[in-house]
This record gives sequence, structure tokens and C-alpha cells, in this order.
Amino acid sequence: MEFRKERVGAGGRAVQIGFLLVLLALWYLATNRWGVNRLLLPNPISVWHQLLDVLRTGEYLPDLRVTLTELAAAFSLSLTFGTVIGFFVSRTGYTIRVFDPLFAGIYSIPIILFLPLYVLFFGLGPASKIALGATISFFPIVLSTIAGFGNVDRTLVTAARAMGASNYHLFRYVLLPAALPVILGGIRMGFTVALLSIIGSETLASLAGLGHHIVQLAEGMDMPRMFAYIVFVVAIAALLNGIVSFLEARGRRWA
Amino acid sequence: MTDALRQFLSRHPGVVRLAVVVAILIVWEIAARFFIDPMFIAPPSRVIASLGAVWDTSGVPAALRITLFELAVAFAISTIIGLTVGLAVGLQPFARRSVMPIILLLYGLPQITILPIFILLFGIGPPSKIAFGVTHGTFAIIIAIVAGVQNLKPILLTSARSMGASRWQILRWVVFPHMIPSFFAGMRLGMSGVLLGVLLAELYVSTQGIGHFTTMFTETFDPTKLFGLIAMLAVMAITLNEIVRRAEIRFSRWR
Amino acid sequence: MTSRDAAIRIRGVSHQFGEAGDKQFVRALADTSLDIARGELLCLIGPSGCGKSTLLNVIGGLMTPSRGSVDVAGKPVRGPMPRDIAFIFQENALFPWNTIVENVRLGMLFQGVPKSEHETRAKKSLEAVGLAEFADHYPAQLSGGMRQRAALARALSLETDILLMDEPFGALDEQTRMILGEDLSVLLSRTEKTIVFVTHSLGEAVFLADRVAVFSARPGTVKKIIKVDEPHPRRPEFVTSEKFTALRNELYALLHDEIRKTVSESASARGGG
Repeated sequence: MEFRKERVGAGGRAVQIGFLLVLLALWYLATNRWGVNRLLLPNPISVWHQLLDVLRTGEYLPDLRVTLTELAAAFSLSLTFGTVIGFFVSRTGYTIRVFDPLFAGIYSIPIILFLPLYVLFFGLGPASKIALGATISFFPIVLSTIAGFGNVDRTLVTAARAMGASNYHLFRYVLLPAALPVILGGIRMGFTVALLSIIGSETLASLAGLGHHIVQLAEGMDMPRMFAYIVFVVAIAALLNGIVSFLEARGRRWA
Repeated sequence: MTDALRQFLSRHPGVVRLAVVVAILIVWEIAARFFIDPMFIAPPSRVIASLGAVWDTSGVPAALRITLFELAVAFAISTIIGLTVGLAVGLQPFARRSVMPIILLLYGLPQITILPIFILLFGIGPPSKIAFGVTHGTFAIIIAIVAGVQNLKPILLTSARSMGASRWQILRWVVFPHMIPSFFAGMRLGMSGVLLGVLLAELYVSTQGIGHFTTMFTETFDPTKLFGLIAMLAVMAITLNEIVRRAEIRFSRWR
Repeated sequence: MTSRDAAIRIRGVSHQFGEAGDKQFVRALADTSLDIARGELLCLIGPSGCGKSTLLNVIGGLMTPSRGSVDVAGKPVRGPMPRDIAFIFQENALFPWNTIVENVRLGMLFQGVPKSEHETRAKKSLEAVGLAEFADHYPAQLSGGMRQRAALARALSLETDILLMDEPFGALDEQTRMILGEDLSVLLSRTEKTIVFVTHSLGEAVFLADRVAVFSARPGTVKKIIKVDEPHPRRPEFVTSEKFTALRNELYALLHDEIRKTVSESASARGGG
């Protein structure tokens, strides 16, 4: 059961914009008029200033580099292993029946639970983040690859074979295009999950990276700057996810 | 391989799956015993043997109970909020079109970035874990409920209307029975979300919950106890998931 | 036909979707007037999009026409009239979470039939359509043909004078259609119901109807009404008779050009042929 995005009319848009404005207004009033503790909720104006400062000085660069490198490494690993293993598992109904429930079962628990084990083994450096990120994002990719290749309409395969298609032809012109939409969906999910788990593990146990920086600022009680970083990280995450969604849509059209 | 054996295996993929898991455990056992520094990894045999010792470590059973309590409360709150908001928004087309994008936006944010804020707000005890679990679970439930309302076939509403059904009758006899599988799907997703949220918060900082002990076992380089504790948590997570999953299947029989 | 015989009077009904100038503007039905006699089975047939389903929805009160009015049993139609009109749709409208007998009873609950009658009526209508043994099955467990029988049972149990059927056999294969058509004819020869039946199938129209109203292409209006003078229940031999063939050919001649017109219109709308 999938949630369907519906078209928003002018009235709907007004509600959404109104919501954001009301939220900002409440934030401002809460800190400036209603005396909410600045240690919990900083003044939005100072958050804004801090954000500009962060962007201007490029203070975020080293941490951003760490996070992005971890993300790239983790995602490459899970992408490669996920698609390749998924393809081979999908080749027979039997292997699917053996491995699919296994993967689905493991994925059903929050794998982030194993973070302490990874930290114990790999240390607090990037390796543990990469390993955990790769592990977690492996599953949506492998599962959707199995589903994509496994559910190709047999009639198409039979027709292609009857017309003399070789194994390569079959893969390139029948299996791949048929499976691609599902696989791309899984890859996008894998990316999102990798990003979340990397930021997450940086928050929980790390010496560097964006997640870690936020924690540092929290411990130093530097609320305005911490909020600024949160906004920054959320924006980066949204940007990356947006790019991947866009690529997914493009990929689907090519298929 | 004899024919009888081959037949048996092909009818019981679960057996092969079990064999795969056992094979992995054997590889793990050999690697841990002979190839890797025992400070970083523990072989499964030793982990199983020391499960009793983990349980006897003072504070661990209480910590497990507290974590279970946090999960239960977070799940209950998420379900109540998720169902009411989900139904209220889902059944009203204008609200659905304008509010859902906001909810999706919030759902897509890396909530882990604001975990430090939750701790500052709610303290390092159970309330912060519960709150963080609630934010993860509620969104998942709302989205599942709204998806359920969306896939109610309009022809069923038309048919009921043509037979003279009143608004109340339509809600009671058409919408409500249709939504039951969605309720349970929502609760399944809600449970996953709550598990993730509570466990993340626990791993971040915890004085009474199991997060306290994972940190302790990590810092004292005790992989045996750490593996053991995490295995217990994994079993707990799998059990909770299974309970909700079975309930979902049982109540979706007509599908 | 006097107003006493006419179960349904359709006067000057036309309908459009959207406003002129809208991208979605469609003139579905042009000025249509028709009288349908009590106890007759009238078929509406025509090319896709000619408005026959729209007309059916207007008659049944599920849609208010842009212009014109419909009287049913002497009363103007202003909304669904569950006591007088029962619908059978092409798309399966059985509630999947209820068994067949529960579906039938639910219809009676909606209409307001007293609880004491539910049991007997449900039993009677399920027997009439031959589904008595499947009363406790779920729709998903039945074939397409059986599901439509169940829909018919539900409609019959409501004991309305009028039955509106919108391509009820459209999703079924030829053989099932044949059987269901014959059974429908037998069933209806025993009752006095007035039936309006939308179909695409020429053979089905000739076999079932007392009169066939042929629609023109969109915006549709009644092009011609053909009478099928043959008593109910229609015997299977009727299908191979000369009379049947002649009527079918007449329908074909009337429809062929309209169908071609519709197809070329939609092809040019899509920018190709």
C-alpha cells in the first residue's frame, strides 16, 4: 500500500505557507516575548546570524567532507554488493525463497543497534560509520533488486527467447528495463537510509563529521550555533535526497 | 545428493536458510577464535555461554525492563496520535492535500539531528527516549493511515450511496472495515519507528536503560558481553515486530 | 405510451463535464428524451464515450444533469432512490471484507429493510442466482461471473421496481457472458422489473432487450430505437435464428459509422492515426 501524492490547489498551498509562517512567528514570539528559556530555544535571529557566519567562514567544510566521504564509501559498497547479490539471488525461485525472507527479517530490526559492535571493532573513526552505513543501506537495495528482477513477466522472457535473444540481449533489453523502476526505488531508499545512518552514527559515536559537530555544540551549550548547524544539515540532507530523487525519476524514464 | 534429500530441501527453503545462518555463525566462530584480536570480537560460542553472565550483571535486567517500558509507552502514544491525526486528515480531502506534504516533509527530515535537543528538553531519563520514539512512530502511522484511506475504491462508496446508505452507515460499514488492515499496517510501521527512535536515544545517552550498558561494555572492551546484550535487544526487537506483523496478517485476511 | 405505463421518463437530458473553454470540458450527452415502459428491458448501446453510462447515472440519481429532468414512477429524480432503483456496476462493487450473504444483507440494511426480512430475502435472491452454496464465501474466492451474480442477488434482494445495469458483464469472458445472459433472461421473465441495461455487445443487446436504443458518437443522443419482438425467457435457439441475425445486422449498420467516428476523433485528439 503506497501513499499517493495528490495535487495541491491554491488553497492547499496557502495552508502550507501559512503553517510555515505561523511556526516562525511562534518561534520568534516564544523567545522574545514569552520568555522561553534561551538555553532550550534560541532566538531565531541569532540562529540566522550564526548560520550566515557558519556559511561565510566555511567552518562546516572539514566536517562536511568527512560526512560526504563516509556517505560515498558506504553507498558505493552497498550499491555494488546489493545489486550484484540481488541479481544472482533473483535467478531462481528457490534462491529467492531462501534468501529474501532472510534479508527482510534482518532489515526489520533497527540495525543501528549494532553500532556499538562496529565501534568496538572499527574504532571511532570513519571506518565504523562506513561499515554500518554500508550494512544498513545494503538491505533495501538487495531486496528491491531481488523483487525487480524476480518479478519480470515470464511472458516477456519467453517471447524474447523465442525470437532468439542471447543471454546478454535478455539482460540488457528485457530484464534490466523491466526491473529498473523497482531497483531505482530501492537505490533511492538505500541512499536515504545510508545518509540517515551516517549522520546518526556520527551523532552517537564519532570524532568528526556533521552529526558529531552538532553534538559538540550541544555539549558546549552553544544553542544558536547548534540550531544553525541543524538547519544546515537538514538542508544538505534535503538537497542530497532531492538530487537522488531527481536521478531516480530520470533513470525511470530512460528504462 | 540423493533425490529424496533434494526433494525435501526444495520443499523446505527454511531449512536451507537455517543452514546459511549456521554457516555464517561457523565462519564468525572461526574468524573470532583464530584470526582476530579478541579485544574486538567474540566468537558466538562464547557469547552464548556468557548470556547468563550478562543477565546477572547488576542492573541489566532492570535496564531491559525500562527499555521495554519506554517502547510500550512510546508505541501507545504514537498509535493514539497517529490514528486520530491520520483519520482526521485522511478523511477530509482538503486537509489531506494541504497537510500531507507538510507531514511528508517532516517525516523526511533526519530527526537524529535534533536528538540533542530532545535530551535537553526532556532530560537523560526515559521521557526523552519515549518522546524520540513517539516522533518516529507517529509520522509512520499517519502516512500509513492516509494511504489506506486513499486506496478505498470510489465505486464502493458510490454503490453504498446508491443503496441509500447514510453518512454514518458509510463510515461504519464501508470506511471502517476497509481501514482495518491499514490500522495494522500503520501499527507495524509505527513499531519499527518506535524501536528505532527509542534505541537511538538509548544509544546516545542513558543512565538507566540498556544504552548505559552498551556504552559500558564498549568502553571496557568486553565484546562478549556487548554481543550478548545486543543479541538480547535484537531478539526483543524481532519479537515485538513479529507480534505486530502477525496481528496485521490475521486481521487482513480478506485481502 | 401514456404516463401511467412509463416507468421512467427522460426529458431533454444533456450533460457536460466542466465549463466551455476548460481543458477538461466534455459534452457527454446531448438532448436526450426517452420513455421506458414498465416491465420492459431497454438496452443502451453505442460507441465509447457516447454518454450511455452518464445517462444511466442520471436516471439513477447519482448525477444531476446539466439540463433536463428524469421522472421515475411519477416522481422527479433528485438523488439516489434506493427504494425504487437498484444498481449493478461493471466494476466489482461487492465489499471485499464481507462474505456474499453479508454483502446482500448490507444492501438491505442501507435501504432500510426491516431486520426480520433480511434472512428470507437474502436466501431467496441467492437461490435465484444460483449462489446459495457460496453464501459464506468472500468475493475474492469467487470467479468474475459469480461475483456479478452476487451483485445481482444484492440488487434483487432490494425488491426495487427498476434495475439499472452498467455493462455488468463487461469484464467477463464470452462464455460466461452467454450463460449469465441466458440466466438473466430466465430470471427476469419471472419478475415485472423495468431494466435499463448498458452494453457494448451487439449480440447481448439483441438477446436480452425488448428495445435497443442506439446512441450516436459523442455528444451522444438516441439515434434510433429498435424493437426486438420476442417473448421472454429468450431461448438459446433464438441466437441462431434469422430474426436475431437480421436485428444484429441492423444494429451493426447503425453503429459502425458511429464507432469509426469515435475512434478517429480520439486518434486525432492524441495526434496520430
